[in-house]
Amino acid sequence: MTELIRRLLRTPQGAVGAAILVLLLVICLFGALIAPEDPEKMNVLARFRAPDLNNWLGSDQFGRDTLSRLLVGARGTVPLALAATLLGTLSGAVIGTASAYLGGRADEAIMRSIDAVMAIPGLLLTLLVSSTLGKGSLNAMLAIAVAFAPGMARVTRSVALTVRRQDYVNAAIARGEGSAWIVLREMLPNVAAPVVIETTIRVAFAVMLFATLSFLGLGAQPPASEWGLMVSEARRFLHQAPWMIVAPGVAIALTAIGFNLLGDGLRDALNPRDER
Amino acid sequence: MSALLSVNGYSLDYRTHRGTLRVLDNVTLEIAPGEVLGLVGESGSGKSTLAYAIMRDLPRNAREISGEISFAGEDLRRLDAPSLARLRGRRVGMVFQDPSASLNPTLTLGSQLAETISRHRGLARDAAWREGVEALARVELNAPDAIMRRYPHEVSGGEKQRVVIATAFACKPELVIFDEPTTALDVITGARILDLFRKLRAETGVAGLYISHDLALVSRIADRVAVIKSGKIVETEPADTIFAEPRAAYTRTLVDAVPRPQRRLVADRPGERKLIDLVGVSVRYGRPRLLGRQDTFGARNVSLDVKTGEILGIVGESGSGKSTLARAMTGLARFDGEIRFGGQRIAGPAEMDKSYRAAVQIVFQHPDASLNPRHRIGDILARPLALYGGAQSEIPRLLEQVRLPAYYAQRYPHQLSGGEKQRVAIARAFAARPALVICDEVTAALDVSVQASVIELLLALRRTHGTAYAFITHDLNLVRQIAHRIAVMRRSVLVDLRDADSIDAADADPYTRELIAACPVPVGEDERP
Amino acid sequence: MSASWLLHRCLFVVYTLFLVSVVVFAITQALPADAAVTLLGENATPEALAAVREKLGLGDPMLLQYWHWLSHLLQGDFGTSMRTGQAVGPALFLALSRSLLLAACAILLMLVVAVPLGIIAALRRGGPVDLLAGLVSYLGVSLPEFVTGTLLLVLMADRLQWLPATGYVPLTDNFFDGLRHLVLPALTVSFILVAHVSRMVRSEMIDVMHSDYVRAARLRGLSKGAVLFRHALRNALLPVITIAALDIGYVLGGIIVVEEIFALPGIGRALIVAIEARDLPAIQAGALIMAGTYAVVNFAADITYALIDKRIRYD
Repeated sequence: MTELIRRLLRTPQGAVGAAILVLLLVICLFGALIAPEDPEKMNVLARFRAPDLNNWLGSDQFGRDTLSRLLVGARGTVPLALAATLLGTLSGAVIGTASAYLGGRADEAIMRSIDAVMAIPGLLLTLLVSSTLGKGSLNAMLAIAVAFAPGMARVTRSVALTVRRQDYVNAAIARGEGSAWIVLREMLPNVAAPVVIETTIRVAFAVMLFATLSFLGLGAQPPASEWGLMVSEARRFLHQAPWMIVAPGVAIALTAIGFNLLGDGLRDALNPRDER
Repeated sequence: MSALLSVNGYSLDYRTHRGTLRVLDNVTLEIAPGEVLGLVGESGSGKSTLAYAIMRDLPRNAREISGEISFAGEDLRRLDAPSLARLRGRRVGMVFQDPSASLNPTLTLGSQLAETISRHRGLARDAAWREGVEALARVELNAPDAIMRRYPHEVSGGEKQRVVIATAFACKPELVIFDEPTTALDVITGARILDLFRKLRAETGVAGLYISHDLALVSRIADRVAVIKSGKIVETEPADTIFAEPRAAYTRTLVDAVPRPQRRLVADRPGERKLIDLVGVSVRYGRPRLLGRQDTFGARNVSLDVKTGEILGIVGESGSGKSTLARAMTGLARFDGEIRFGGQRIAGPAEMDKSYRAAVQIVFQHPDASLNPRHRIGDILARPLALYGGAQSEIPRLLEQVRLPAYYAQRYPHQLSGGEKQRVAIARAFAARPALVICDEVTAALDVSVQASVIELLLALRRTHGTAYAFITHDLNLVRQIAHRIAVMRRSVLVDLRDADSIDAADADPYTRELIAACPVPVGEDERP
Repeated sequence: MSASWLLHRCLFVVYTLFLVSVVVFAITQALPADAAVTLLGENATPEALAAVREKLGLGDPMLLQYWHWLSHLLQGDFGTSMRTGQAVGPALFLALSRSLLLAACAILLMLVVAVPLGIIAALRRGGPVDLLAGLVSYLGVSLPEFVTGTLLLVLMADRLQWLPATGYVPLTDNFFDGLRHLVLPALTVSFILVAHVSRMVRSEMIDVMHSDYVRAARLRGLSKGAVLFRHALRNALLPVITIAALDIGYVLGGIIVVEEIFALPGIGRALIVAIEARDLPAIQAGALIMAGTYAVVNFAADITYALIDKRIRYD
């Protein structure tokens, strides 16, 4: 593991990505403590205050400090996006590997159904599930997980199929190894690497999707300090206080970039052939 | 007579992030007009790089350190882009290794041929097309106008290579560079291409630089041969003497490594008893469709056997079904018919029990793919020991047996060379103490010098353990050196099965005789009447 | 291309649409929670709930409900909106046409920008264009549409006042003004597309330029132009069609957000309105129409690709 981290940090993408994410982790854990003011404290006198030296990111329509809301909002956006991705990835990976291993008609049937579900564009599917489950962050997370699972299943299946064709799997079958051994010890370690990379990159997408849902009113509900919600609320005050939009927008972008970079770095680090 | 192509003291480096690599070191060679020079080297020797240096098509990280390259007296390094474009294709042609890769898949063969002719001979499109048809006729293609209108994937490898050769010759060049032109082709097709090359050379008097890893082949078609190793020219000799009297030590290793049918490596006789018997085995690859099945046969009604301690060679071209037999014997494919082993009658993979699997082992062709990249060597070897009974403590001995150091058990496959990985695969097979080891093209992916050592290892192991081999290969010369009997496969059918020493007898199947005729025998060793 | 292949693909599209309808129906209606309560809220009177249940046929078994819905659909009846009381179909198709116009603008913009960007980035690797393309790609996949759209709105419409902020003017009324209203939304949608496609074009172009056949063409002495256009570009741009088709999916998703931000009366907006109003028939019809459009577009892309790439075997 330490070897992996060392190789990850040796790539520029991996290093920058890891740095951003460590920062994010700190903010998620200690955001409330670092925040200069109470994010929910309304101050009528301080409405629409522009950013200055004392007040780095200004304040919003209720006088709440934008920086504080931003710091606390991390906790509203990132962990749930992460959870949604993990849930979606795990279920997708199991379906995909099983489908690849079963082969034949079962594989065909599963894949055709997945193709049909994927014919529904991602955001649309998320919206549908979300609208049925109801508003709220948790439901949004579930909706995203459901939307991710088919895509992950397809990716995992294609990787599993490639692995299945390799001669080392054939060698194992020729030895008379049991299915469990072949799937768990021969295939899975080689399937895991690409899946991990894909998952990392999808977290970026989940963060954006979660914020989008909140923006549309289906995710986090006011008065939560979620980033997407902040942009949505800020829309009405574009003219008076443009910083209200820029700050959370940049935060979302930075988070997504961080995960994308980490994914790129992992791609290099997890490839064993680069050793020699 | 002044040289047509002259390379003088040429050195080239590649700059990589791991440092500077000297790819060509003080290379000096000459080709006179009308002469064919063979350039022989193993992979990584720099032979192809020299070709690209001559054509001035080097990658961005190449640095020319010293020396000069001149063609017909002109210094190639000083040519500007337009002059270079006039040289390429018109005065110097090139034929590449893989015709599938060197032709544009989305253009017809005719348009690719015609555009070259049009470009260099200034003809209009129609005239160029007609010239193209004639050029194809000269390379002995049937129905040239039909072929002009086809796409690359619609014709065979041999036909594609003829088109490439036609393109190279159509502009009447003075020098043609051939970079391993027959390596990607089947033996028989490759032999015919070589015949074509000889004919064209006689007709046009063109000079040639023939690059290959196959010393035997090159010695038959070149006037002189240069041997290159790690970027240095080791020796340059006339073709008829280099094989008989190699001077440099490296050349001698190359010469020794060439399989020669007369040089028999196995002198004993096999056992009497049949070890494994295939009776009417057929393997079908079916694609279930909505209406009925569309089956192709990987192997059709094949019956052969291997006796205890015997080496059975199974030869054939690609697609002949030899690997399919290996898959059937090891339970990787379902089959019709029967396999009889140790008193059992086996009708499918499900009936192969542990004792069978231990007794019948397989070594695959590609060492990169047959070892799980995420397992250590020790883990890889531990598995058969655990499955078939054996202690972990045997691992060092297993490694030693294949002449690898014991500490390799801690390493991962990517840290080993191709030859070393193949040895591990062999060690893995022998961990089960098998009675039969199926070797599926085990030397095809290796360099010539490494091939010889792997064969020698296999023979040594056989002497120690008395194992039988089913040795699958396309190299007939190799198999004639080691096999007791040889089976010949063609298009999924077994066409011949006879003792090795009578393989070239008059009553052999015509296909067998064609194969023998196509395998390059080095100059000076010709025994044909 | 054989007739059987074409038939196979057609059947697949039909099968996909069928499955999509099942998925849409299942998600929106087949939940244990009472759909009537979800629609009217917790405080509705029992009579009102009963009326809605009756109206929507919620008392029937699920399969029967699905069958009713499907059979109406196949006759062209997409249901009646619970919000407006009007037939849902015509309004949605009108909205779809507007969305398709926006999508077409976005894709046109994307092709004009992304393809040259990708090609130049590949040909001059490490150069300024390549770095710019890299930056755009990274930003494109890291900025959600609502951020890009809102930022563009702030910059172009609010601060600089170059373009109108929101609203829609049909092209038939006033062509130029109509276009002006489409610029910002099209830019927002195409930003992500440009990011994806330029990256793909760049990577394809690099692969192709390093391929053996391009090298062979160059060494045959063909002119630089011939090598680039006849050999390299032809093959590099082939996959762009497939990617563009796949990206329609992104477009359809992104359109929802963009229409919301710029107040365009397209199908995305209609869907959001329907969701807000809990208008079940409208939600189902809207989702089905959007997904159906995607499936049909993919099918068209498959056929186009098959016509162009000779290597695909149609058996």
